[in-house]
Amino acid sequence: MRFMVFVRSPKPLAALHRDSLLRAGVLLDAGDLVPEAYGVSGYWLIDVRSREEAVERVRRIPLPACVVEIREVAVV
Amino acid sequence: MGATTSVRRTIDAVWRMESAKVIAALARYTRDVGLAEEMAQDALVAALEQWPDEGVPRNPGAWLMTTAKRRAIDQIRRRENFNRKVEEIGRDVQEATPDASEGIEDEIGDDLLSLMFTACHPVLGTEARVALTLKMLGGLKTEEIARAFLVSDSTVAQRIVRAKKALADAGVPFEVPEGPELATRLASVLEVIYLIFNEGYSATQGDHWMRPELCAEALRLGRVLAELAPKEAEVHGLVALMEIQASRSKARTGPGGEPVLLLEQDRGKWDWLLIGRGLKALERAEALNQPPGPYYVQAALAACHGRARKAEDTDWQRIATLYQVLAQISPSPIVELNRAVALSMAYGPAAGLALVDEIAGEKALQGYHLLPSVRGDFLLKLGRNQEAKAEFEKAAALTRNEREKTLLLERAAACD
Repeated sequence: MRFMVFVRSPKPLAALHRDSLLRAGVLLDAGDLVPEAYGVSGYWLIDVRSREEAVERVRRIPLPACVVEIREVAVV
Repeated sequence: MGATTSVRRTIDAVWRMESAKVIAALARYTRDVGLAEEMAQDALVAALEQWPDEGVPRNPGAWLMTTAKRRAIDQIRRRENFNRKVEEIGRDVQEATPDASEGIEDEIGDDLLSLMFTACHPVLGTEARVALTLKMLGGLKTEEIARAFLVSDSTVAQRIVRAKKALADAGVPFEVPEGPELATRLASVLEVIYLIFNEGYSATQGDHWMRPELCAEALRLGRVLAELAPKEAEVHGLVALMEIQASRSKARTGPGGEPVLLLEQDRGKWDWLLIGRGLKALERAEALNQPPGPYYVQAALAACHGRARKAEDTDWQRIATLYQVLAQISPSPIVELNRAVALSMAYGPAAGLALVDEIAGEKALQGYHLLPSVRGDFLLKLGRNQEAKAEFEKAAALTRNEREKTLLLERAAACD
């Protein structure tokens, strides 16, 4: 299952701490989004076995004062 | 009930994420993978008992690790002659719970790598290696492995018990092999990962839910390995091969479940994200400047198709060259047959026919229906219809697949 994780941070996050996702073999893609009203933001696209795993993995990444949205990618 | 179910699902997820690390760290202290795996299982049982009431701890991985270590100490205390080990583990439990600092990440990485090499040790048979890897590194349950391989739970359970015993009997050390041993041991790890991938990818029967799960698991293991052993070109080669093959999974069967040949697939259904990842992995392999290994070459072959948005854009000359390289590192008449097809696509049917006639005497190809089938195809393209017809009929008589037989007889009839 693929999940798109959006992270909105009031200040820039260095490389968005992608290491733990990369080491776990679940990170498919990552990138920064063009800054908008609520600060700088980025995304991770991850491939995990369940929604719970997506939540658990993201929960462990230090993201102070960030707004995180986890959305499942539709399968066509 | 809703809350309990959700806790159970969280425990499942945490287990899949953490079990390999817990087993690996315990195995380093106890030097006994079997014991480590049992103690980790005990910790899982404890979590299943306690978390639904007490809630999921803030750091569930550390909780599992601490619980498993305590169980290991209890267990070893019961076996009195392990006194020294108790001291070692005891000291460690006193230390602070690990957090994600760099040094600890490296240590976890070494442990995981040691666990991979141990689970895939050549003293074990293939089935045992596959089962142990899925169980200890993938965090799959025994019944999930059984469903994936269409065998009973007890068969898998026995396989795992015997494998753990075989490792103990052989005194397999828990470590990352070095020097000349590394290459053969790594080959064994890669073989297991690719076997898991192919089990999910090639079989058409079996549990529809578990099969794609096996592909995903193999990909994950490969990606983890690529970060743990980034200087090994073949690891990146294998990852590239799996990413590119997985990219075609939606295009490779038709609506009725029938296989669709590569050149006839709707490339719009290919997963271009995975192709991009595969090409990147291939670049990582190339940047290491090592002699090409079989996974790298197969990945490079897959990439020739992956780079072509349309079938007619395929670089057949490069494919023919790559098959020649593959034939040198792992010679096989099947590879030669594929090379003949590539030659005919690149340089015309006469070039393909010449190679096919050269290898037609090979023992391994006797009774193999693709040989006359490919030969018939070349002959037909050269306008030698009657000879082509005979080849298609020969192929039809050799194949055991009914659908294929019908297809070949139709081609034979069309030669008149």
